[in-house]
Amino acid sequence: MHGYTGLAKDHFFNPRNVGALDGEAFIGRAGSFTCGAVVRVSLRIDESQRIAEAKFKATGCGFLVASLSFLTEQIQGKTTGEAAVLAQSSASAISQPLGGFPENRTHCAALACEALLSAITDYSDSVRSEWEGDEALICTCFCVSETTIEREIESGGLRTIAEVTKACRAGAGCHSCYSLIEDILDDHWRSQGIANPAFR
Amino acid sequence: MKETIYLDNNATTRVAPEVFEAMRPYLTEHYGNPSSAHSQGRKMKTAIEQAREQVAELLGANDTSEIVFTSCGSESDNWAIGGFLEQNPTRRHIITTRVEHEAVRNLCGHLADIGCEVTWLEVDQNGELELDHLRKALRRDTGIVSVMLANNETGVLFPIEEIGRIVRENSEAVFHVDGVQAVGKIPIDLKNSPVDLFALSGHKLHAPQGIGALYIRNGIKLPPFIIGGGQESGRRAGTSAVPNIVGLGAACDLAGNFDGHERVRRLRDKLEDQILRTIPNTLLNGSPDRQKRLPNTSNISFQYLEGENITAHLDEAGICVSTGSACHSDAHEASTTLRAMNIPYSAARGSIRFSLGRYNTEQEIDYTLDVLPGIVNRLVEMSPYDKELKAL
Repeated sequence: MHGYTGLAKDHFFNPRNVGALDGEAFIGRAGSFTCGAVVRVSLRIDESQRIAEAKFKATGCGFLVASLSFLTEQIQGKTTGEAAVLAQSSASAISQPLGGFPENRTHCAALACEALLSAITDYSDSVRSEWEGDEALICTCFCVSETTIEREIESGGLRTIAEVTKACRAGAGCHSCYSLIEDILDDHWRSQGIANPAFR
Repeated sequence: MKETIYLDNNATTRVAPEVFEAMRPYLTEHYGNPSSAHSQGRKMKTAIEQAREQVAELLGANDTSEIVFTSCGSESDNWAIGGFLEQNPTRRHIITTRVEHEAVRNLCGHLADIGCEVTWLEVDQNGELELDHLRKALRRDTGIVSVMLANNETGVLFPIEEIGRIVRENSEAVFHVDGVQAVGKIPIDLKNSPVDLFALSGHKLHAPQGIGALYIRNGIKLPPFIIGGGQESGRRAGTSAVPNIVGLGAACDLAGNFDGHERVRRLRDKLEDQILRTIPNTLLNGSPDRQKRLPNTSNISFQYLEGENITAHLDEAGICVSTGSACHSDAHEASTTLRAMNIPYSAARGSIRFSLGRYNTEQEIDYTLDVLPGIVNRLVEMSPYDKELKAL
């Protein structure tokens, strides 16, 4: 008895979306020092920021394979922001629909999410660097500009990234803009003559 | 084919029908306590002594009094080593190897923690010992040398005759052999071997789980393992597990009369040769010289793949094997044996142990060889190590 049951078993023995995308794909990687598993996720993202195709390759246990198969299936057609929110939620958002994992395998679901977030981050970084709009784009997952974030900080007296995210969704996705939001918070409060050690 | 193909005989074996039949009366009509003087008790006592003869015969012991029944191989190992140290508290230097079964390895680790000095003999990449290291390690105060006869994971055989000779020529130490994985698979002849203590386990040779034995050469003193009612000549108390003891005796009888060793060896050779020849990126773990390995065991690495996934896919196809890489509670580690052999992690992670037994058939091996390449291909396609695999 190999211990795989239900939907997890189906996804393990018949994994969806195995493979790699060439060309314009965005790549995410994750590895675990705990268990030695290695994952590569590749995404093709269309002009409306939706995930047109998601593929994975992995060396790891069946729970990892099932998580990746399920996750790549779930995110098809979703925006990068929606996919990132799913990947940021708890590992049980993956393991529960698959029938639940043994306690010591929740990190397998988490590793799948980490690889997906890494691919979305790859996309976000590339969008930011190619952005040519008037206002600097900070959060690519939810299209929030620097001006919007500055306005929210000023009007709401915001001090932390979490407060910024709550006010305007910036940072709710792949988190790759965290350091940028941090800088904006820092600049704002320093210009007010207030050191803001609390912004984290 | 939907019946189970059991290629995990180093883990445990199926109880032989002959063994079960021998045990059956002792689980039904015979139920006396062997220590009782009445006829029911005497019948049980006779059965135990017959089993002792059967075990002594298979091991080639000088005398039946050298065989003591225990509950398992681990108990035998613990008694041999722990008992010797209790008897000889000043001789606290132990020599053993890096690749012993946990029953010896973890016990010696524990003994090191509580003040014994342990010398761990290294193995080379074939899993073989360098005997010069043993010569150098032996000292005047060495109390016990414990070396396995056959490695459970790779099947590599240690030359216990030679090791025992070296121990006797260079020290006063007692020589313990963990023979658990070898008994029933290769001939044993203890009366002509320089072995003082020898552990065996019933379930590795088609007896039920829960029975083992320790051979204690006449003249070697060990304190009792369990103190109580004086069973086993006062050496191991506790009401004798008569059905299991009878089962072990019958299993030893069966093993001694087994004439299919060459057939098992041929099936193992076929499986091993064909995997190594036809499936890319495979490596044999353990000595390439088959004379230096058990005739039933093949440990093969499928590089850059996950052993756990191979076993799961094989299981789904009805084939039981094991992997030397297991995801334990919170860490994934290659087996201690493979690490001691310096097998790279990328290979150790995908290691599979095939261990055959008397019930395996040629059709089963053919079926395994049929399904394995497909499974490996699917996992290769999934492996993120495309570049490394291509480069191999």
